[in-house]
Amino acid sequence: MDGLIKLENLRTRFHTEDGVVNAVNGVSYEMAQGEVLGVVGESGCGKSVHALSIMRLIQIPPGEIYDGKIWFDGRDLLTLDEKEIRQVRGRDIAMVFQDPMSSLNPVYTVGFQIVEALTLHTDLNRKAAKEKAAELLSLVGIPEPKKRLDNYPHQFSGGMRQRAMIAMALSCEPKLLIADEPTTALDVTIQAQIVDLVIRLKEELGMAVMWITHDLGIVAEMAHKINVMYAGYIIERGSAQDIFKRTKHPYTMGLLGSLPKIDEAPGTKLFSIPGLPPDLVRLPKGCPFFARCAYRKEQCKTEMPPLEEAEHESHIVACWRWREIQAGEIQ
Amino acid sequence: MGRYILRRLLSVIPTLIGVTLVIFLFQRLIPGDPAVAMLGERATEENIARIREQFGLDRPSFLDRDALAEGDLAGFFDSQYSRYFGRLMRFDLGESIHRRIPVAETLKERFPATLELSLLSMSIALLIGIPAGIASASKRNTALDGVTMVGSLIGVSMPIFWLGIMEIMLFSVFLKWLPTGGRLPTGVEIQSITNLLLLDSLLTGNFAGFVAALKHIILPAVALATIPAAIITRMTRSSMLDVLQEDYIRTATAKGLSLKVVLFRHALKNAFLPVITIIGLQAGSLLAGAVLTETIFSWPGIGKWVYDSILGRDYPIVQGVTLLIAIIFLFVNLVVDLSYAILDPRISLE
Amino acid sequence: MEETKFEINGLEDFAVREHRSLWIDAWRRLVANRTAMVGLIVVVLFLLSATFAHFFWDYEPKIDLDYGAKLLPPQLIATEEVDIHLFGTDKLGRDIFRRTIHGGWNSLRVGLVAVSISLLVGGILGLLAGFFESIHMNFWESFILMTLLGFALGMLPAWIARQFFQAILFALLGAGSVVFDRYLNGKKKHRLYIFPALGAMLAALPGLMVGPMVALVCGVVGLLIGLLLSKPVGGELFSNIVMRIMDIILSFPSYLLAIAIVAFLGPGLEKGMIAIGVVGIPVYARLARSAVMSVTQKEYVLASHAVGESHSRMLFRHVLPNILSPIIVQATMGLANAILSAAALGFLGLGAIPPEPEWGAMLGDSYKYLSSGAWWAVLFPGLAIMLSVLGFNLLGDGLRDALDPKIRL
Ligand SMILES: Nc1ncnc2c1ncn2[C@@H]1O[C@H](COP(=O)(O)OP(=O)(O)OP(=O)(O)O)[C@@H](O)[C@H]1O
Ligand SMILES: [Mg+2]
Repeated sequence: MDGLIKLENLRTRFHTEDGVVNAVNGVSYEMAQGEVLGVVGESGCGKSVHALSIMRLIQIPPGEIYDGKIWFDGRDLLTLDEKEIRQVRGRDIAMVFQDPMSSLNPVYTVGFQIVEALTLHTDLNRKAAKEKAAELLSLVGIPEPKKRLDNYPHQFSGGMRQRAMIAMALSCEPKLLIADEPTTALDVTIQAQIVDLVIRLKEELGMAVMWITHDLGIVAEMAHKINVMYAGYIIERGSAQDIFKRTKHPYTMGLLGSLPKIDEAPGTKLFSIPGLPPDLVRLPKGCPFFARCAYRKEQCKTEMPPLEEAEHESHIVACWRWREIQAGEIQ
Repeated sequence: MGRYILRRLLSVIPTLIGVTLVIFLFQRLIPGDPAVAMLGERATEENIARIREQFGLDRPSFLDRDALAEGDLAGFFDSQYSRYFGRLMRFDLGESIHRRIPVAETLKERFPATLELSLLSMSIALLIGIPAGIASASKRNTALDGVTMVGSLIGVSMPIFWLGIMEIMLFSVFLKWLPTGGRLPTGVEIQSITNLLLLDSLLTGNFAGFVAALKHIILPAVALATIPAAIITRMTRSSMLDVLQEDYIRTATAKGLSLKVVLFRHALKNAFLPVITIIGLQAGSLLAGAVLTETIFSWPGIGKWVYDSILGRDYPIVQGVTLLIAIIFLFVNLVVDLSYAILDPRISLE
Repeated sequence: MEETKFEINGLEDFAVREHRSLWIDAWRRLVANRTAMVGLIVVVLFLLSATFAHFFWDYEPKIDLDYGAKLLPPQLIATEEVDIHLFGTDKLGRDIFRRTIHGGWNSLRVGLVAVSISLLVGGILGLLAGFFESIHMNFWESFILMTLLGFALGMLPAWIARQFFQAILFALLGAGSVVFDRYLNGKKKHRLYIFPALGAMLAALPGLMVGPMVALVCGVVGLLIGLLLSKPVGGELFSNIVMRIMDIILSFPSYLLAIAIVAFLGPGLEKGMIAIGVVGIPVYARLARSAVMSVTQKEYVLASHAVGESHSRMLFRHVLPNILSPIIVQATMGLANAILSAAALGFLGLGAIPPEPEWGAMLGDSYKYLSSGAWWAVLFPGLAIMLSVLGFNLLGDGLRDALDPKIRL
């Protein structure tokens, strides 16, 4: 597989009344073409901010992407000017957001909003674009697509809106689709449908997908690679097998420990690690998980552990004590 | 659509009846006998009695229970208010006490002047307020935003009568560029079609007339436009700021649309909804502000007329003009609701 | 047992602390806001100069006259012939600076009184409207309301038939409706028959003593009233009536209504205060109502209602503290508006009566000799109006940002 996008030491912060919020603190990883990457972590750990940073959708001010590189198609996205990044948005990288209820403009028809994306990035004329839009709607499984084009968002149900959002995101056949918790706001059966839809479309169109979620179950099913984020850091990264079967980081263990049992409905409240994530304004000097970690030692408090290889090249973890934990030397 | 309009129109009726009641009560509560006011202090008893009967002033205010007690059902409802209401239904606003001219007639003559002034002011206010609000919101927390915000706050705080006087002082007294008041200089004639002088002069190709009319209207229009312009600016800005926070704006940006398209296509239409309400409210206060502006600039509209009538205690005029203004105000709000329904697909018209 | 109690106390403490720190936070935000501080300074200067002038700087407008010093331009240095006149003099040779400073007291008075009238009347009406609209009335509240309603409606047939006791009959009917609903578990269908019939009888039978026509009309009226009373209305009715009246007031443009009221009451500063105050009522009523409704929808208020906390206690504990900040903001802006309106009335000759120093009135008589070029006679009073109004507006704006960072206008 060829490299598609490569993040190097991405750092994003927000200047707020209460101080500087360090939302993303040096994230590096690579994604291959056609790869499915799962990004998991507790609420507020910087998943969305890091994804928005890739598309340069962070509002400046108060936001600021103050360090790092994002290599895509041989260019650093962070150095592109406004016009160039607009070419990337929607055409090369598309995004589906968490809340389908508010993500579509209520005063324009769904068709208009899809056609708008099409005419922007392709040379289709309006009529052809409209036909393409209908095709897209039927692709994402909306019945009577021609008629539905003239509907306003409020005439769609939540699941249909999310399908429409996906249709819009797919309209220009992007190389990378970022799905930021696209199913959180939907009910369970619809969630499963949307996941299946994206997996199917990914196969058909051959794009890479970044799936941001709280729901480890979904990720286990579909992701080639998983990033576990905590307080703006990646603290463990590996294949689904690595993360689920050969877990290294205590935080990841905590997440898995709180995985719902089969008989529970997925999507219910998942995490039950004691304590709260650290205040991003006053990040501790050492490991951010220190305060909640059952295996902490003095070194963890003062020094941030580096990401290092565990077992094999593509499984990396940031913990001082993963070897000891692995060996069962500590409980 | 038609149904919706009808329903909205019907819902205005109770308020309108309330308004006529207030206006009617207002007249009844004014101390002194209207008949005496009409005839003067030295009128004979006989004459007063005649006038009282002629104008129905001898009838009770609302209902005549004495008539009812005698079994006269029609008489029961025959009151000053029912007569007043009946006259209103026939567009009869009564007569000026002093000049004995039907109020409706003078109203027809004077209303276009106020309308012209208000329309021009509103146009100025919109042309300044909306772009300023958009610019200010899209450049939030910059110097431009700061200047616009302080400027609009000064505008809101402006006593327009003072502004008008200062305008006259500067442009008429010191610079002598513009006339101090009136609608047209003597000697200039504009053939009347709509009685809106700017429009008429253009329609008849009377360029000299247009310039003369413009010179007269520009100072009062600017004075009158100040407060609405400031309020519209602030409302547009705050509404834009709210909309710019919305998720669908992020969606639009994520599509790769340019800032301009995002602002003007995706944000503006949504942001405009609350602004329309404010514009409607301003339309009402424009008519009221006309009282001050027209007085300062001797503008021959209904504002100055009603002011003079208040001082001269010519109540039929005051009542007529007040009613007209209240009706216009209600009507403008109706239009506001309708445009809301048209602009916002979430409001169903059925 | 002990433990639970402790917990609740802890929570309450927390809530109080939370509240206090909210105000402190707001104050910090206000101080950090430069334009708001400018506003605050202007307002304080205005308040100080007005009060000090009123109490420590004698001024007798009735005898202030000096034809020798008529229409002098601003004079910063005293010469042998003329005194210092910072702002010049007017057509009667009065020192404009002095009159402007003293005028501040009048503006302040108008502002305070007018806003108090609007705030008290509008605030209370809106508070009650919002409260009873969103919280169900208890038996006694509903009993009192229906009795009063029955009485008020009954006044109509009572007046028509000249039989005052009819109003009392209808008051009883109203009370009966509540009792019927509450204790007899009256069915809706039955109510719809019983009450109109009772109403018609209560009015028509006594009416017969006066005349057949009277009985007929009273009967019809009674029937309608009975229909209205058949369902014990909740607070919505009260709220509806209040808000409808507010709508009617609002359908007159504010200046015009103030002018009309003054025209009716006669000119004078005090009348102006009343007029401006009355015109402002609907704004506060609407504000208070919507604020109350938004507060009463919150869980903790609903919870306290479910627990059975009394309505007055709820009002004072939950609702009042929460609607304080929008009211403060509105009142500050309202002061600005009242000063502006008072000046407008004064300018039109409907406010303060002439020798009295009042900014609008000063403008009003100076602008008549505008052509003489005496710019100072109109510049300074107008500037005073604008600056003081601007000060209150800036402060109000800052207060809004400080008290509720979410809302912007
Ligand atoms: N515009 C902003 N201004 C200030 N802070 C922000 C802003 N956007 C995000 N943050 C902060 O950045 C941190 C990371 O937020 P982010 O939205 O990336 O979390 P997340 O991992 O996506 O959480 P969730 O699962 O709840 O979506 C949070 O602490 C948040 O408060
Ligand atoms: Mg998120």
